[in-house]
Amino acid sequence: MVSGDLLHEARLRAGLTQAELAKRAGTPRSQISRYERADVLPSLETLRRLIRSCGLDLSFRLFNADLEEHDATLIAQVQSLTAEERVDRAVRAVKHVYRRE
Amino acid sequence: MSRAANVADFEPGQILRALEAHHVQYVVIGAIAAIAAGAPILTTDLDVTPARSRENLESLALALRDLDAKLRSVSAPAGVPFPIEAEMLATADSWTLSTRAGDVDLMFLPAGTQGYDDLRRGARRERIAGVVVSVAALADVIRSKEAANREKDSMQLPILRRTLEQTRVRGREHHSAT
Repeated sequence: MVSGDLLHEARLRAGLTQAELAKRAGTPRSQISRYERADVLPSLETLRRLIRSCGLDLSFRLFNADLEEHDATLIAQVQSLTAEERVDRAVRAVKHVYRRE
Repeated sequence: MSRAANVADFEPGQILRALEAHHVQYVVIGAIAAIAAGAPILTTDLDVTPARSRENLESLALALRDLDAKLRSVSAPAGVPFPIEAEMLATADSWTLSTRAGDVDLMFLPAGTQGYDDLRRGARRERIAGVVVSVAALADVIRSKEAANREKDSMQLPILRRTLEQTRVRGREHHSAT
């Protein structure tokens, strides 16, 4: 599912028209339309903000094809760190994901 | 302040230091507690369960004032100022706030728990961002997220359960090796 489909589904789930979402999010309706048609790709931050305006949230995970093995490896890697290192690493990672546009 | 700006400012250590400076009694819960326990997840806010005694709410109010806490709101990205008083904090079970050090959620009664005294029993003392604080047990974090049954919790639960399972296996292996 591409970002336009996600936004479209979120808006429909919230029972909003494009105009209503535009007003709620402070984004021009024409831009919402462009996002939904995938004429323009919103940044991750913009997509999340618009989906939040629909009363929903967007979450994400990185995973390999072999999810079970991947999770086990990831957990083992994290568990080799101290609690302080784990939190520090997670905070740095989330800031990286949300870097200002 | 936009969501991205909130996240850019997210410094859980600053929030914890403010709470400690005012001797607030609390337990770190939610995603930060799960991360401290070894769960490979990310979060953009800090969740804590403070004790509900009058004295503690007064200490909490002082810490929140130091942090310039405001009510978090989608329609008001800069946050909504509110009277940060113990009496006000006592009126709700939860508060979703933005501060100069990022977002913090106060959950006096997390789903599936009895609040501070309940969570304190299984909590560990851990150093986070240079501050030694009480952190809820991963099993309690899972218990609460199961009870809350929100969509975002449901998505995180498999990796949290897996983390708990691997932690227990690792503990047993360590125990049998010593």
